[in-house]
Amino acid sequence: MSLASDIELRSGRRAWLSEQSGAIGLAGIVIIFWIVFASWAPGFVSPFNLFAISRTLAIDIVIGFSTMVVLATGGMNLAIGAIGVCSVMLAGYLMQKLGVPYPLALTVALLLGALLGWANGVAIVRSGVNSFIITLASASLYTGGMLILSKAVIYNALPPAIAAFGRMRFGFVSPLLIVALAIGAALVVLFRFTALGREILAAGANARAAQLSGVPVSRAIIVAHTLSGLLAAAAGLMLLSRLGAAMPSIGEDWLLPSFLAPVLGGALLSGGSISVVGAMIGALLVTTIRSGLLIMQVGNFWLLLFLGMMLLLAVLLDRYRTVYAERRSLGRRA
Amino acid sequence: MLAVAIAIGFVILSLLSPAFLTEYNLYVMLRSFCVVLVVAFAQMLTLAVGQLNLAIGALGGLVAIAVGGMMEKLGFPISAAVGLGLLIGLGGGLANGLLTVRTGINGFIITLATASVFTGINLGVTESIPFYNLPGPFVAFGVGRFFAVPYLLIPPVLAALLLALFLARTAPGRYLLAVGGNAHAAELSGIPRDRIIVLAHALSGLLAAIGAILAEAQLGSAQPTIGADWLVMSFAAPIIGGAALTGGHISVAATALAVVLVVLIQNGMVLAKVDPYWVQFLLGALILAAVGLNRLRAVRVEAA
Repeated sequence: MSLASDIELRSGRRAWLSEQSGAIGLAGIVIIFWIVFASWAPGFVSPFNLFAISRTLAIDIVIGFSTMVVLATGGMNLAIGAIGVCSVMLAGYLMQKLGVPYPLALTVALLLGALLGWANGVAIVRSGVNSFIITLASASLYTGGMLILSKAVIYNALPPAIAAFGRMRFGFVSPLLIVALAIGAALVVLFRFTALGREILAAGANARAAQLSGVPVSRAIIVAHTLSGLLAAAAGLMLLSRLGAAMPSIGEDWLLPSFLAPVLGGALLSGGSISVVGAMIGALLVTTIRSGLLIMQVGNFWLLLFLGMMLLLAVLLDRYRTVYAERRSLGRRA
Repeated sequence: MLAVAIAIGFVILSLLSPAFLTEYNLYVMLRSFCVVLVVAFAQMLTLAVGQLNLAIGALGGLVAIAVGGMMEKLGFPISAAVGLGLLIGLGGGLANGLLTVRTGINGFIITLATASVFTGINLGVTESIPFYNLPGPFVAFGVGRFFAVPYLLIPPVLAALLLALFLARTAPGRYLLAVGGNAHAAELSGIPRDRIIVLAHALSGLLAAIGAILAEAQLGSAQPTIGADWLVMSFAAPIIGGAALTGGHISVAATALAVVLVVLIQNGMVLAKVDPYWVQFLLGALILAAVGLNRLRAVRVEAA
């Protein structure tokens, strides 16, 4: 027992170290980009642009978290954008058409996100089918349903408090970023210090082993997907506050950033290993590049090319790092 | 079972709507069948070896604008532009396959990244502006028909026959199915697993290119958005046709039937003047239903 816990502690510490080395390397890349952009385009570090970055960053972070929590179980969620837009449109409808006060409307919208995520989780666990296929189908189902019900209208007569929150600023920091950081802190607590978070990671690392040692794997998967839906809804509502209007096109372009942030941050696609801080730095890198290219007027058109190359480069580097680490540890043992 | 569903749908539609069995409507249906069929085959091949290809639509979009640009801006003859377009598709697929195999990274992430690269090049080059002035014969091919049969149907049908022959009768085709069925066993019996996975990705890219060129001929212009909505459809048909995501179980005929079913449903909804948003909703529901049915069947087989 003590031996087992000792090994766990040691491997845990090693995992923690390798995780941090990745995060530190990533932070280094972010700093280089900031130096490059700041020296080439002085507008990059203007208070106005820093505020704009903090607003987009907040949303990118939460979108990344939404994928990260299902990556922890070794699954994926392609329906994040669909869930986000469903929540946004419901919130818009409740506030504009029914005159529901905004705290209640936002709560209901968050609950809808959690519910849609829960449905994904239940379908995956019950059918035993790959989460990729289930969420691909449910994304189509949710978006289709939203368009049928909303007739693709835009709700832009929302309570002023919504847009006011998006425009609010403390220095050059948007309160949206504070919300994102608070969510990050909550996730750190969940995955480091609670049994539930540990169960989700265990289910992702090795589902069979986890099952045999008494972890309720199915429940862990459903919880992760419910949480993912809730986070997708949160990201959607933050975007609603930034845009000041509920639009049916929200979420269409979330797929790439949702994977970029956690994967750049060192999450394993096979599950069991994630880094909350890494995902935040990953999101920062994405936002930095996007904003830098905009300021340098490279234009939105080349952005996708850059992001795609980034993702390729990141996974290649990560692969190289893993191989290198394995070789070193083998060498030491021999 | 798919065939039965199609037959029932056919009878119901022809009873309910007098417009359904007209020559023109059959032509419209067959025409929308073409691109979807090839796109479904593109995904089917990667599913066959237990891989996913998220880049089909992005690669298709790139090929479409490349072919359009070569014909309109560079004045290439049609055959040269189409040939080079097919090569781009093959090359893009090859890159997907090589990256997946060489790095050992999940094909999902690789193709998510390359999809973004392909779309990025597409948008960077065109700045979202389509090529409208395509050569006359190319556009004429897209609208030409023999009674209800569009000329556009010829390449997909040829592709289907060749693909069926390839999978059933040639060694690489058999290997492809073997790798998907059980990669480890296939490797132990001397099948070059990595090379087969690369082959599947390369052929998938080639089929995506064919789909793109067909879509371009069908539209009569090279839109940068070609392929943007292929993702769900590309998975829907092979899965409804019963391809297991674990690989190995694919069928050209079943995938083709699934495409027929989807096109039939779409057409029925157009005739019934239903909100087009329902198509997206139903597509998701159909995939889930197919997955559920497959699961039921598997459980019953296990119980027996």
